[in-house]
Amino acid sequence: MIKRLLATSAVATFCFMSGASAAETIEMWVRTGVGDSFKKVVEAYNASHENKVTATEVPFSELVQKYATAIAGGQAPDALSMDLIYTPAFAAAGQLEDLTDWAKQLPYFNSLSPSHVKLGTYQDRIYGLPLSVETSVFAWNKGLYKQAGLDPEKAPASWQEIEVNAEKIRKLGDDTYGFYFSGGACGGCMIFTFTPLVWGSGADILSADGKTATLDTPQMRKAVDAYRSMVKKDLVPPSAATDNGTNFLSFNNGKIGQQSLGAFAIGTLVTEYPDIDFGVTLIPGIDGGTSSFAGGDNFVITKGTKKLDAVKEFLEYVYSLEGQKVMAKYGSLPTRGDIAEEALKGLDPRMQVGLKAIAVARTPYTLQFNDLINSANGPWATFTNAAIYGDDVDGAFANAQGEMQAIIDSGQ
Amino acid sequence: MGVVTITPLLKTVAQTSPPPPDPSGHPPRKGEGARETHPEHQMTDPGQNQSTRKRRSATQWRGLLYIAPAMALVIVFFVVPVLFTGWMSLHNWPLMGTQRWIGFNNYIRMANDARFMSALRFTAYYTIIVTIAIFAIAFPLAIFVEKQRRFVGTYRTIIFLPVVIGLATASLLWVWLANVDSGFIGPALKALGLVERSPNLLASFDSAFLTIIIMVVWKIAGFTMIILLTGLQAIPVELTEAARIDGAGRWQRFRHLTLPLMRRTIALALIISVTGSILAFDQFYIMTSGGPQNRMISVVYYIFNQSFVSFNLGYGAALSIALLVILMLISIAQLRLLKIGEERP
Repeated sequence: MIKRLLATSAVATFCFMSGASAAETIEMWVRTGVGDSFKKVVEAYNASHENKVTATEVPFSELVQKYATAIAGGQAPDALSMDLIYTPAFAAAGQLEDLTDWAKQLPYFNSLSPSHVKLGTYQDRIYGLPLSVETSVFAWNKGLYKQAGLDPEKAPASWQEIEVNAEKIRKLGDDTYGFYFSGGACGGCMIFTFTPLVWGSGADILSADGKTATLDTPQMRKAVDAYRSMVKKDLVPPSAATDNGTNFLSFNNGKIGQQSLGAFAIGTLVTEYPDIDFGVTLIPGIDGGTSSFAGGDNFVITKGTKKLDAVKEFLEYVYSLEGQKVMAKYGSLPTRGDIAEEALKGLDPRMQVGLKAIAVARTPYTLQFNDLINSANGPWATFTNAAIYGDDVDGAFANAQGEMQAIIDSGQ
Repeated sequence: MGVVTITPLLKTVAQTSPPPPDPSGHPPRKGEGARETHPEHQMTDPGQNQSTRKRRSATQWRGLLYIAPAMALVIVFFVVPVLFTGWMSLHNWPLMGTQRWIGFNNYIRMANDARFMSALRFTAYYTIIVTIAIFAIAFPLAIFVEKQRRFVGTYRTIIFLPVVIGLATASLLWVWLANVDSGFIGPALKALGLVERSPNLLASFDSAFLTIIIMVVWKIAGFTMIILLTGLQAIPVELTEAARIDGAGRWQRFRHLTLPLMRRTIALALIISVTGSILAFDQFYIMTSGGPQNRMISVVYYIFNQSFVSFNLGYGAALSIALLVILMLISIAQLRLLKIGEERP
C-alpha cells in the first residue's frame, strides 16, 4: 500500500516537474518492410513507461504521399519513422519540428550515425535524427547449398559464381529456385539490392552532384545481363516479375537459394525463422569489389505537435543502451556509435556483416528520390522491370536515362 | 432527418401560397373594363396586375425552393470544387509549401507532356475495347433474361451479383485469382494440362490487359444488362406481335424494331460505360500498379501520380480540368450521334 502510494506520488511529482498533465499517447507512423525492430522497441517502451506510443504501419511505397496528404489535411501523426532519404524534402517544405537545440545537448550527439544526421540537416538546422540503420547484404541458404553439393560455408564472390550456384540449386526441385529479387517495378527494393552491383565496380546511376543521370554505363549493362540471364534460365520464380515489394522477404520460405536483402531481414530471420540456416556476405560488384546501400530511417517530429516532450522522452529511450539492444536484436544496427559494440554483444555474428557493410555503403542524396527512384511508375522502377524482363534492353536504357534527366532538370 | 425538415417547409409553402389563378376569368374582364371604362375597374386593374406579378414571383420562388436542396448539393459538391480546381490549375501548387501564380503554364506544359499523351492513348484504347466487350456480353444477356423462362430470376441475380462488389475489392480478388503460384487461373490451366507451367498473367502487357478486361466485363456487364433489360421490357408486345404477323424475321425485328426503340436506353448505357472507362483507375492501380513497364497508366492514374506522388497539385488540377472538358465533349458527341434530346418520343 505504502509502496503504491509512494509510486503514485513519485509519478505525480514527475508529472508536475515535467509539466505533463497525464500520460500521453504518441501517435507514430512507421513504414512496412523494415523488420520488427521498431515494433519491438515500442513494445518495450510501452511496458516500462507511463506514456504510450501507438505505431501504425503504412505501406512503404505510400508513406511519403500519405504523410504529405495527412499534413495538408491536418491529420498528421506526432512523429514518424521516415526513410532517411526523404528528410531533406520534408524539412525543406517546413513541415518538421526543428530539433537542433535539443539534439545538440544530448551527451552522445556526436556519436549518432553521421550520414543520418547529415540527411536530417537542412540549412544548418537539424530536423531528423537516426532511428534505424540498415545496409543491404547478400544471403545464401546453407541448407540448400548442402543439398546441391555446394560448400555451405563458402560465400559466393562473383555473379558468375552466384549464377552457377543458382543453376545447381534450381535442379533440386520444381519449387526450389536459385535466386530471388522483387522485379515488379519495386524501385525501393532494386535501389537497395541491385545498385550495389554497379557501385561495387565504380559506377553510379547519378553523377556526384546529383544533376546528371548516368544510368547507361558498361557496369549497369553487365549487371542487367547477369539478372536477365538468371531469369532466362528460369532460376528466379516467375512471381518475381510482378512482385512490387510485398514479397521482398521471399527468402524466408526456405525455397530460395540466394537473395540480396537487408540487415533488418537478418534480424527477422534469426528471431522468427530459426530453422533457416543462412550465411551473409557483402554484395559482390559486377566487375569485382563490394558495395551496399546504407539506408534506414530518421526520426522526425511533425511541426506543431503538442506532445513534443513525450516524443523526446521516447527517442531518449530508443537511444539508451536498453533501447539500442532491443533494436539490434531485431535487426537494426546501432545508431549510437559509442555503444555499438555493447549493443551488439552476444547477438548473432551475422549482424556484424551488416555493420561491416557501412564502410562500403552508399546513399544517393537527391531531393527527388521519390520521383526518380521509389515511385512505382518512376523511371528507375520502370527501368529495372523493362531491362530485366522486357524485350528491348536498349530502349529501356534510353527511356529511363531520358526520363530521369527530365525529372532532374524540371526540379532545378 | 430529411423528412422532418422538409415536411414543415411544405406546410408553410402550402399555407402562404395564393389560391390557384383562374386562367379563363381574367382577360375578358380586363377587356370589359377597357370598353366600359368603369372607374372601379380602372382602379382595380393595377392592383390585379400587381397580384399576378406577386403570384408569378411567388411561384418562381416556390420553384427555387423546391430545387434548392438539389442545387445546394450540386453547388457544394460539384460547382465549387470545379471552380477551385480551375483556380488551382493556374498555380504552381505543391502539396506542401506555398503556391505561386503561373497563369496558363500548366496547360502549356500539358501540350508537350509525352506521358500525358500516352496516358490518353492508353485510356482511349482501354475505353474502346472494354466498351465493345461489355456490350457484346451484356446485350445477349439482356435478351436472354428478358424472356420469361424458368429460373430467370436466378439467372438475373447471378449475372448481377458481381456488380454489388466494390471495384477495388474485385480487383484484389482477381489479383489473387491471377497469382502465378497460389492463385486459381494459372494453376487451373496447368492442372488441365493446357499449359506446361503456370503463367504469371500480370507480367506481360497482353495477358495482364486481357485479365483486366475480363475482370471488368465480369464486374460491369450485369449493370449494363439491367439497363438494357429495362429498355427491352419497355417495348410494347403488340408491336412485336404486329411485326411478326407482317412476316418480319427475328433479325429484322431486332434491327428495325428493337434497336430503334431502345436508342435512349443504349445511349444511357453507352454514356455510363464510356464515362466509367475513361475514369478507370482502381483496377490498374491495384492489379498491375501501372502495368508492366508503365504501359497501363490511365489518365486518372497519371493525375493521381502527378498530384500525390510528385506533389504537383497544380498540374494535377490542370489535367483534371482537361479531362473534364474531354469527357463533356465525348458525352455531347455521343448524344448527337444517337440523336437524343432533339425530338420527343
